Amino acid sequence: MTLPSEPNTVPPQDDFELSLKPLWMRAQGGDSAAYREALSKIAQRLRRFYSRRLQALPDEVEDLVQETLLALHMQRGTYDETLPVSSWVFAIARHKLVDLWRRRGRRDNLNDSLDDMTEDQHPATQEELPSKRDLGVLLEQLPELQRQAILLTKIEGLSMIEASERSGVSVAALKVQVHRGLKQLAALVRSET
Amino acid sequence: MKTDELITMISNQAGPAPKVSVANRLVPAGVVGGLIAAAIVLGVLGLIPGEMLSEPGPWIKIGYASTLTIAAGWLFTRLGKPGASDKQATSAVVGVVLLMLMAGVLSYLGTPASERAAALLGHSWLVCPWAILGLSLPVMAGSFWAMRGFAPTKLISAGTACGLFSGSVAALAYALACTEPAAPFIAVWYTLGIALCGVLGAALGPKLLRW
Repeated sequence: MTLPSEPNTVPPQDDFELSLKPLWMRAQGGDSAAYREALSKIAQRLRRFYSRRLQALPDEVEDLVQETLLALHMQRGTYDETLPVSSWVFAIARHKLVDLWRRRGRRDNLNDSLDDMTEDQHPATQEELPSKRDLGVLLEQLPELQRQAILLTKIEGLSMIEASERSGVSVAALKVQVHRGLKQLAALVRSET
Repeated sequence: MKTDELITMISNQAGPAPKVSVANRLVPAGVVGGLIAAAIVLGVLGLIPGEMLSEPGPWIKIGYASTLTIAAGWLFTRLGKPGASDKQATSAVVGVVLLMLMAGVLSYLGTPASERAAALLGHSWLVCPWAILGLSLPVMAGSFWAMRGFAPTKLISAGTACGLFSGSVAALAYALACTEPAAPFIAVWYTLGIALCGVLGAALGPKLLRW
């Protein structure tokens, strides 16, 4: 029996997938450097993906790239390693695009090519356009405990143990605050777009 | 902010990815909701008489409902993961329902004409689908909570899966008290009850599962 064809996935064996998958698997295991590199590769692809589909709204591209990166991070536990990473990434990217259109009431655009075309077929990589957001301003909107936890671990880059000693908050509580803070940040970013 | 800044922030001290699994979400939701439904049904209607256990009726219901619970749970996991195909799991759900419908039709055709109406309608056809819908509500709440821990990108389908799962667990609980013995009854009214749960889930999906 052959498996049913899958309309929603990018072909798994393109160069993007081949270079991304090993990085991603290391990132899932906790390797920050691999995670950083994987996210950079993904960001480039997302920029291409969105600039092609948001030709009328070029200002939204970088904001949506950032929103999607945060969403990927918050949802990374839902990645199923039997699937191509790119299928997972673009399923979320499409979801975020549809969500943006829905919020902007641009339903007519939903008929557009939300398809499975290979990202390699797209024109050359777009340059990153400046985002309207300021990370510092966003962080200031977070509750104090969340902001502090993110500043110590995610901006200063202290380990959880170091951050715990510095702040007097337990490691377990810090992890919770970082998670909640990022979730809140993702919600703030989404409500801005 | 530069996207690079954001990437640095996200990846810094990120640690290993959290484990999101059916085992720590949907299973507890199904067990807790199922126990609540069973407690309600046993409290209100009571357990079926012991001698019924030697007849096929209760076992058909239990077999149907538990197989459908597993198929709907599988569909749930596929719809909770972005990029995963749900085709095989959908076929499994449809297949289980079709088997039950076929068994119901065969049993109906094999029933003497004078007893057919009783085999189809029993004494509780007006109650059964609504009882299953009502009993599904605790599991429904739990399975939507469970789905919110995943990342569904097809919200109507994901809601339907939550509804079908809830309906199947509720049907399992209802089978503990339901004294209808005939396969045609089960094929029509149990299926309709579970389908109602699916419709409710589909309607709630886009409202409750957005992220």
